[in-house]
Amino acid sequence: MDDSIATGPAHPKPAFSLIIATLAIAIFFVAYPDYVIRPMRHQGAGELQAALVVLQYQHLAEFLCAAAALLALVFYLRLKPGRGPQIRAISATAVVLVCAAFSRVNVFEVMFHPAGAPSFQPARETKLDGDEKVLAVNTRAYPIRSISYHHIVNDVAGGVPIAVTY
Amino acid sequence: MWGREINGLVLTFHLAGINNQNFLMRDEQTGTYWQQISGRGISGPLAGRSLKLIPSDELTFKLWKSEQPDGSVLKDIPADAGDYSPKDWDVKIQKYPTVLSFPEHGFKPRDVMLGIQAFGEARAFPYELVLREKLVQDRVGTEPVILLVGPDGQSVRAFRANDDFFRAPDGSMMDSATGSRWNFKGCAEDGKSKGACLERIEAIKDFWFDWRNYHPNTTVYAGAGRRRK
Repeated sequence: MDDSIATGPAHPKPAFSLIIATLAIAIFFVAYPDYVIRPMRHQGAGELQAALVVLQYQHLAEFLCAAAALLALVFYLRLKPGRGPQIRAISATAVVLVCAAFSRVNVFEVMFHPAGAPSFQPARETKLDGDEKVLAVNTRAYPIRSISYHHIVNDVAGGVPIAVTY
Repeated sequence: MWGREINGLVLTFHLAGINNQNFLMRDEQTGTYWQQISGRGISGPLAGRSLKLIPSDELTFKLWKSEQPDGSVLKDIPADAGDYSPKDWDVKIQKYPTVLSFPEHGFKPRDVMLGIQAFGEARAFPYELVLREKLVQDRVGTEPVILLVGPDGQSVRAFRANDDFFRAPDGSMMDSATGSRWNFKGCAEDGKSKGACLERIEAIKDFWFDWRNYHPNTTVYAGAGRRRK
C-alpha cells in the first residue's frame, strides 16, 4: 500500500463520511413524511406540520444530497481506496440517488391516478343507474363512483375554475 | 367543492397525502398544502388562506337529470374505470376501519352526517334520521334552517327558512303563510310566493369521525321535538 494515501493530506475518510451523511439526510427527507402522512395512522397536528415542512424542502434537500454524494464519490474513488470501501461508497451513493428519484414521485397519484383534463358527455347519453349518486354543480354532474377514486378534478365550470373534491 | 382561484392565480391541485383519513392536496403553482375538508392552506406560501366554497349537491343521477336535462356528466377515464368504487361503496366502506373515534352521542365513526357550518355554528344532522323525517326544522347558529329530502328519498338540501314550512299529505312542502307549494330546488311553484326561492345552505355529507375531527365544537341534531344538544 502506498504510504502517501494513508498519511497524505488527501485522506479518503472525510469524503466517505460525507457520502454517509448525505445518505442519512436523503433517507430522512423521504422516509419521515412518508411515515407521518400515510393512510391508517393517527396523526397529531404537530407532526403533520413538521412532515409538511420537510416535504416543502424535500426536492431541494434531495438534489443537494445527490450532488454532494456524487462529487464526494468521484473524489473518493480517485483516491483509490480498497475494493470493499469502493463498493460501500458506490452503494451508499446509489441509495442517495434512489431517494432523490423517489422524491420526484407522487405516491398518492400512483395509487389514485389523477383525472387530468376532464371531459364531459350529455346527461341524455350517460349510462348511469338512476340511483347512482353524483356531485352536482348546476349543469355539471360528477359521478361519485369516479370522483371517489380520483378524489380531485380540476375543472372550469361556467367560467369559474373549481376543484371538485371527494 | 372549492374555487381554485386565489388573488387572480388559478391553482391546479394534486392529491398529496392523507391526514387522519381526510386527504391533502398540493397546488402545482405555489406548492402549498391544503386540507380537503376545510379548504384551508395548512403549509407553504398560502398557509392560512381559505379557498372559496362552491355550493354543490350530492344527488341521485335521476334527480339531477330531471332538474338539468341538458346538463353534462364527467366521463370515466377508461383505464381507471375498473378501479372505480362500486355502487354500494357507501355500504362497503362502513366496515373499513378508522383511526379516529368520537363515541359521543353513541355514533359509530362511519355514521353518515349532513354537516352544516353556518351562522356561527357547526351542526351535524344524522343522514338516516333526516331521511326518516323527510323535513327537518331546526336552527343553526342564529338562523332557522330546514332540511328537505328530495322526491328520490335520498337527496337532501338545506335552506334558510322558518317553521312556517310543513309537509303536505302528498309529500310536497308547503308554507302556512302563503299556502304555496315549494319544490326540491326551494322555489315556490304556485300560491302567493310563486317564483320566490329560499336561500340555499351548504350541507356536506361526511362521516361522523371526519366531521367531528374538523368541527370539534359541533352540535348534533337529535330528532324532531328533541332538546338541542
